[in-house]
Amino acid sequence: MPAISVRELRKTFQLKRKAAGLRGSLRALWRPTYESIEAVRGLSFEMEDGELLGFIGPNGAGKSTTIKILTGILHPSSGEAAVLGHVPWQDRQALAFQIGSVFGQRPQLWYHLPAVDTFYLFGKIYELDDKSLKRRIAFLAEAFEIEELLETPVRKLSLGQRMRCEVAASLLHRPRVLLLDEPSIGLDVVAKQRLRLTIQRMNELEGVGVLLTSHDAGDIETLCRRVIIVNHGEIVYRDKVSSLKRRYLTVKTVDVRYNEQLAADFSLPGVEMVKVGRYGAKMRFDTRVTPVEPVISGLAAAGSLADVTVSEPSLEDVISAIYARTEA
Amino acid sequence: MGRQFAFVMALWKTNLLSAMEYRVSFLTQVFGMMLNNALYFVFWIIFFARFEEINGWDLVDMLFLFGVVATGFGAGTYLFGNAVRLSPLIANGQMDYYLSLPRPVLLHALASSSNASSAGDFTYGLFSFGAAIYFSGSFGGLMLLRFTLGCLASIAVLISFLVLVQSLTFWIGNTSLLTRHAFNAIVTFSLYPITLFDGTAKLLLFTLIPAAFIGALPAEFVRSFDLLQLAQICAGGAVFLLLSVFVFYRGLRRYESGSAIQVRM
Repeated sequence: MPAISVRELRKTFQLKRKAAGLRGSLRALWRPTYESIEAVRGLSFEMEDGELLGFIGPNGAGKSTTIKILTGILHPSSGEAAVLGHVPWQDRQALAFQIGSVFGQRPQLWYHLPAVDTFYLFGKIYELDDKSLKRRIAFLAEAFEIEELLETPVRKLSLGQRMRCEVAASLLHRPRVLLLDEPSIGLDVVAKQRLRLTIQRMNELEGVGVLLTSHDAGDIETLCRRVIIVNHGEIVYRDKVSSLKRRYLTVKTVDVRYNEQLAADFSLPGVEMVKVGRYGAKMRFDTRVTPVEPVISGLAAAGSLADVTVSEPSLEDVISAIYARTEA
Repeated sequence: MGRQFAFVMALWKTNLLSAMEYRVSFLTQVFGMMLNNALYFVFWIIFFARFEEINGWDLVDMLFLFGVVATGFGAGTYLFGNAVRLSPLIANGQMDYYLSLPRPVLLHALASSSNASSAGDFTYGLFSFGAAIYFSGSFGGLMLLRFTLGCLASIAVLISFLVLVQSLTFWIGNTSLLTRHAFNAIVTFSLYPITLFDGTAKLLLFTLIPAAFIGALPAEFVRSFDLLQLAQICAGGAVFLLLSVFVFYRGLRRYESGSAIQVRM
């Protein structure tokens, strides 16, 4: 049985519309107009037990709404969903004992208290006995490298430190599924990397399944084996991250430098010259049209090579291309 | 039941720890509110210095009334501090936190915050009750029991009323202003002798603005035992409690969350 199963899930919000200015406000007061916004449009997907699944999309794509439906925060307009066998909006409390959730913009730690005080409160919320709670806190403190931070008021922690404490708090009750909504939002590169490694480690150690939404393709690239890309409430792509790369990372950019001057009419068949200088050139080619081997041989034949760099587009560029394609 | 009690106790403990982070602010608010209440009562001392009674109520009755209302109000809004902030929590999508944890949403939301100034009301209420005992010359274990029961009924109706008013947020959007007016109305009317009102006004004080269940009725019951009054305050507390829970959970189905950046204080 999959850990998460979603079928034809839809969520529509009623949004009040108002024209600009006082006149618009008065008219809205007298005769309000509403517009239906479909945040989620017939989503269907599954996540296996212990899987790390990336769920990405631009702002307003319906990621957070989907996560909120799966945690039982929101009722869907129609469709079905089951998380660990529970219908989230019907068995909210029973489900909450088995899942953990972290919302990057909605902290659960008490701001004026040290994180350890929230951990003890969560112990009561999740009905953990004192002995096992203490053992669990010690284990998570070591895994997340937060031993030194536990007794510092949360308001004095950096964003990265706070987020590690947040994720540790959501794992206190050993959930089988962790729903992470933009956990890396606002973090610097080092803090992001640290958080990713810890999530990965908890997945390996305890087999906790992770559904991760993020704007940062790096989160998905590092953590997830499978990815679902949503736009305007619909799934526009779903596959393994490796397949995504294979399928879309076919355009190579080559920077080449020579020890001697290049011929004035330097070119290679099937290769687009982006820039040609006296001692080097930048070019681009698609491996589906032009194989790699003749390009490399052609470069070697053109003169004495000083340096060659072959690069691929970032996953971010690939995802942007997919969004752009769905917008068209 | 025991599980929920342990959970609520843990919440209250966390609230206390949070308040103790700013001890000076906490104590200032406590003593400030006690002084505020005492100054308000001076009006009644001056009044009863000129008139012996008002429709059968004298200064000692007013001390009992202030004792029950301030103790009930103070305890209620200290232990369930979010009862006065429920509307913005709903309107700004801050119920997400309570909905994502395995506890009853309403109880969790209400008990997740405490007002320092309410501790001042509570302390003032106990002083007022003590003064009422002193001036009435009557005291016993049963009166203490009646006082406790009266305060509990007062808390139940006050918190339920605030929940009911603010549950309207689910249907009509932010009701902060309405809540402020309703709050002022119920507190003001609960601090007057019930004998001042009759007809429609009295009916309103038992229904739409149930101030009678928060002040006069429990205060009269504390002063002398009356089975009918006991039945009235218990029934009033139970009816308003059940109604508020029902309306809140009906409204919760309409909850739409939000994406504002939030902080847990």
